[in-house]
Amino acid sequence: MIETVLELIDTRMSFGGRQLFDVDRLAFKSETCLVLTGVNGSGKTTLLKIAAGLLSPERATVSFDGQDFSWRQAYRALRRRVVYLHQFPYMFDASVFDNVAYGLRRGGVSSPEVRAQVRQALEWAGLSEHTAQNAKSLSGGEKQRVALARARIISPHLLLLDEPTANMDEEGRERTLFFIRRMVSDGFTVALATHERHLVQQVGQVHLHLEDGRLKEKPIPGGGEQAESQARDLRSA
Amino acid sequence: MSDIYSASIGAFDLLVSGDAELWTIIGISFSVSLRAMLIAVPIGLPIALLLAFGRFPGRRILVTTFNSLMAVPAVVVGLTVYLMLSRAGPFGDLKLLFTQTAMVIGQAVLALPLLIAMAHAALQSADLRAWETALTLGASRPRALLTVMHEVRFALVASIIAAFGRIIAEVGVSMMVGGNILNYTRNIPTAIALETSKGEFAQGIALGAVLLFLALLLNFFLNLFQGRGELA
Repeated sequence: MIETVLELIDTRMSFGGRQLFDVDRLAFKSETCLVLTGVNGSGKTTLLKIAAGLLSPERATVSFDGQDFSWRQAYRALRRRVVYLHQFPYMFDASVFDNVAYGLRRGGVSSPEVRAQVRQALEWAGLSEHTAQNAKSLSGGEKQRVALARARIISPHLLLLDEPTANMDEEGRERTLFFIRRMVSDGFTVALATHERHLVQQVGQVHLHLEDGRLKEKPIPGGGEQAESQARDLRSA
Repeated sequence: MSDIYSASIGAFDLLVSGDAELWTIIGISFSVSLRAMLIAVPIGLPIALLLAFGRFPGRRILVTTFNSLMAVPAVVVGLTVYLMLSRAGPFGDLKLLFTQTAMVIGQAVLALPLLIAMAHAALQSADLRAWETALTLGASRPRALLTVMHEVRFALVASIIAAFGRIIAEVGVSMMVGGNILNYTRNIPTAIALETSKGEFAQGIALGAVLLFLALLLNFFLNLFQGRGELA
């Protein structure tokens, strides 16, 4: 049975007196890739930031572990459970190693353990040769992979990606999607916001569309089989 | 021209011969200004943080006030501190006027607006994503604040260096609240002013050279520091 990792209920947000959205229910299902589509300015980023505990909504109830909380009660727990990746992930002015280690160090993990886990995460992301390099000097695609490794290493309950393939060439896009599929096949729960509809078929297992302030579930062309079979292949690989 | 030449040679002699009076003046200058920075930095940086990230009524007015205070001449600050510390002033009983402590207080007051305004600008230039990334990776708010400060560390260090540069070279405060007492409150700028008024240029040039060397040294350290990129 697929569990719900996190649920946002009755989430409302307004900016400057204009209602941006009023979302009845947004559920993130365990080990599933949810794709949230919508035109630019529809509120996708805002919705993800609310789910990550980074942006205070006008009103929202958050549900996890079988309990309901107001957003104000839950935002600290959300920051511990959810990792949000910006469209252009921020790299701290430090080495790739220090960037990936950031979350672990905040969690009080011992130095030898940090070293071992970071080494493993960098291998996973194919960034081992960049360990000592300043993360700010990496290409856009490499920064995206550092951000994925940096999130993965702290095993979040939910990973939120905001336009992860924006402004990437075909190769960078394919590579990023490959890493997203791998994370889902490794048991992570992922949600990504995009205005590129074709991503739905490529990685989506659930498709939600934000339009006129309302969230609607949409069918996935092919029933999400492409994403499912790719995830299966990665699991068996 | 030959006067300038002979004064410069005299200045060089004073510096390399370890002239006791000259080096005492230099020592007092550094001691007073460093102590002033030790007071100003722990007060100034939290205020800058509060102005950059705090949301409270009157914040904009405070920012404007500190920006305006940067332009206040040192003699006006000196006069204010003098009035506070003089026998008839509110802190007259402490008998601090014409002491190094008075100079430290005066210089700290002088450093604060520049330090706060520059540090505030540095913190405001920080990328919001740095704050959000730190929080989403599990950092507490104080820890995320330290991370953001680390991200703009060069600009913060620059604000501290600029404030130090202002107070080590100022005359107004030191002269008014210190009194220019030899071997006690005479520092580099007040000594330069005095020696120049006496027509003794050698010591003035020697002390001016020390200030110039200091400026070069501070910038050298800033550049050296900028080469490092380790995350705190």
